[in-house]
Amino acid sequence: MTDVTLTQTGVAAKSRKEAGSILFYGVLTALVVLYSLPVIGVVLTSFKSTEEIARDGLWALPDALRFTNFTEAWVGGNVVVYARNSFLVTIPATFVSILLGILTGYVFSKLRFRGSEALFIFVVAGMFYPPQIVLIPLFRLFNAVHLYDTLWPMIIVHAAFGIPICTLVMRNFFAAVPNAIREAAIIDGANEWQVLVRVMLPVSLPAIAVLATLQFTWIWNDFLWPIIFTQSDEMRTIMVGLASLKGQYSVAYGVQGAMAIIASIPTLLVFIFFQRYFIRGLTLGSVKG
Amino acid sequence: MARSRTLWAALFLTPPLALYTVIVVAPLLVSFYYSLTDWNGFNPNYNFVGLDNFLKIGRDPLFANAIRNTVIWMAAAILLPSLGGLAIALALNGRGVAGNLYKSLFYLPICLSLVVIGQVWIWMYHPDWGLINVTLEGLGAPDWTRAWLADPQTALLAVIVAWAWQQTGLAMVIFLAGLTSVPKELTEAAEIDGATYWQGLRHVVIPLLLPATVVVMALAIINSLKSFDIVYVMTQGGPFHSSDTLAMFMYTESFKKYYMGYGSAIAVVLFAISLVIIVFYFRQVQALDRLYD
Repeated sequence: MTDVTLTQTGVAAKSRKEAGSILFYGVLTALVVLYSLPVIGVVLTSFKSTEEIARDGLWALPDALRFTNFTEAWVGGNVVVYARNSFLVTIPATFVSILLGILTGYVFSKLRFRGSEALFIFVVAGMFYPPQIVLIPLFRLFNAVHLYDTLWPMIIVHAAFGIPICTLVMRNFFAAVPNAIREAAIIDGANEWQVLVRVMLPVSLPAIAVLATLQFTWIWNDFLWPIIFTQSDEMRTIMVGLASLKGQYSVAYGVQGAMAIIASIPTLLVFIFFQRYFIRGLTLGSVKG
Repeated sequence: MARSRTLWAALFLTPPLALYTVIVVAPLLVSFYYSLTDWNGFNPNYNFVGLDNFLKIGRDPLFANAIRNTVIWMAAAILLPSLGGLAIALALNGRGVAGNLYKSLFYLPICLSLVVIGQVWIWMYHPDWGLINVTLEGLGAPDWTRAWLADPQTALLAVIVAWAWQQTGLAMVIFLAGLTSVPKELTEAAEIDGATYWQGLRHVVIPLLLPATVVVMALAIINSLKSFDIVYVMTQGGPFHSSDTLAMFMYTESFKKYYMGYGSAIAVVLFAISLVIIVFYFRQVQALDRLYD
């Protein structure tokens, strides 16, 4: 008798719990859909013709899966050139900033000297720096050395502004590597460079992956530096191209949507395939945003 | 031995610090210098005007307006994404694989450019086709519809909401990381002692999230000072400067009006504000380190 009631209350509790869980995920799903609406709108619009948009608005389902907006953006919108420029800026700048961060990170963790901690904080504080502070002097500098309206200023500036975050992440990572490993290599006759390249680097791939995903995303998405340092259409990066497309295709919402999607694909791919590293980087160096 | 160590340290530090000095540190000093001149950006000749630019800042209603908007932005940045991110993080923490899918969807906007986000939200606010006005009309409240970005009363808040939409995902990531540092035994112990979910939250979880909260707040404030891209794309600071932020105002004065001397003075003010925040943040972090060690 008691057994039966016990089981019954057990079953009731279980089904109540299940109902609660269904309700929870129901509410959550509704919330996620609501949160994703802006993105859904762009995807829908990118498949619609201008007539369709004029007739049904931006939020109706498209009549058919048409890719004409994408081809129009790719060819008429000069996206090939913009995307190429973005890659030419993003890849070297990401690479150099990580390389420099490895150097500083190693010194600040394993070759500390008097005052190195203060120097470390001085470098890391750069993460907080609003770039507007140095906009005018850098504009003047790159004009003076005739690099205005080339891709070089963006590569150089992004490499430099990446140093704080790369220093922070590499230093924290190296600090967790036992000192004994370095000392053993030194006793075996290795110099610091050999220790760094042969001992430290092979184990620091996770940290490098974190930085690569973060830096790639930030530099790819940047907008401020290219509008300051470039002028001609041939030197535009993809985000500047996207922003200026509004003029050329001011009413062609479909093309605008298609270009916004194309411009986001590289960082979306990074996000999908390296999400773990990306998220870890955000939490490690979250002060940069 | 110790000497070669120092040499290597110097060798390793030289390239990064040289670049950092030339691009990040030295230009700051140059900004100070320009702020004392009336340079117009083109003319190689300019005059020293002393502190005139700073006196002008004190009198410029547009500067006061940009400061006011930036303060509003900061207040919204501290409230909206933090509370939203905290709520979502609490709901999704420890939900396993299903939770991970939802987490991904919530932080997807972080990997999007603010240019793309601005574009997307221009459509949300579109007077005729925007989802917001369409929904309001559908709900039978056509009086509430308006041209959100063209109306000086709503433009600033409209841009902030679009920005907060992205920052919510970021706050969520940081709070989720903070939640992993809350030991399960603690919340379970609270539960065994008869604490309700809310009591456990208030007395156990929230206090342990203090470090994460400091990071979220610092981020919100500093990102408010940097707010430029999305303003540029959505409103360019308009209409009638109603959505002008300090960063946007500095850009307009320097690169649209070519008042480079005046723009440099704005940059110096921006630096002074950032410095206060940097010092405050590092002190806070050090205090927290001591607290938790």
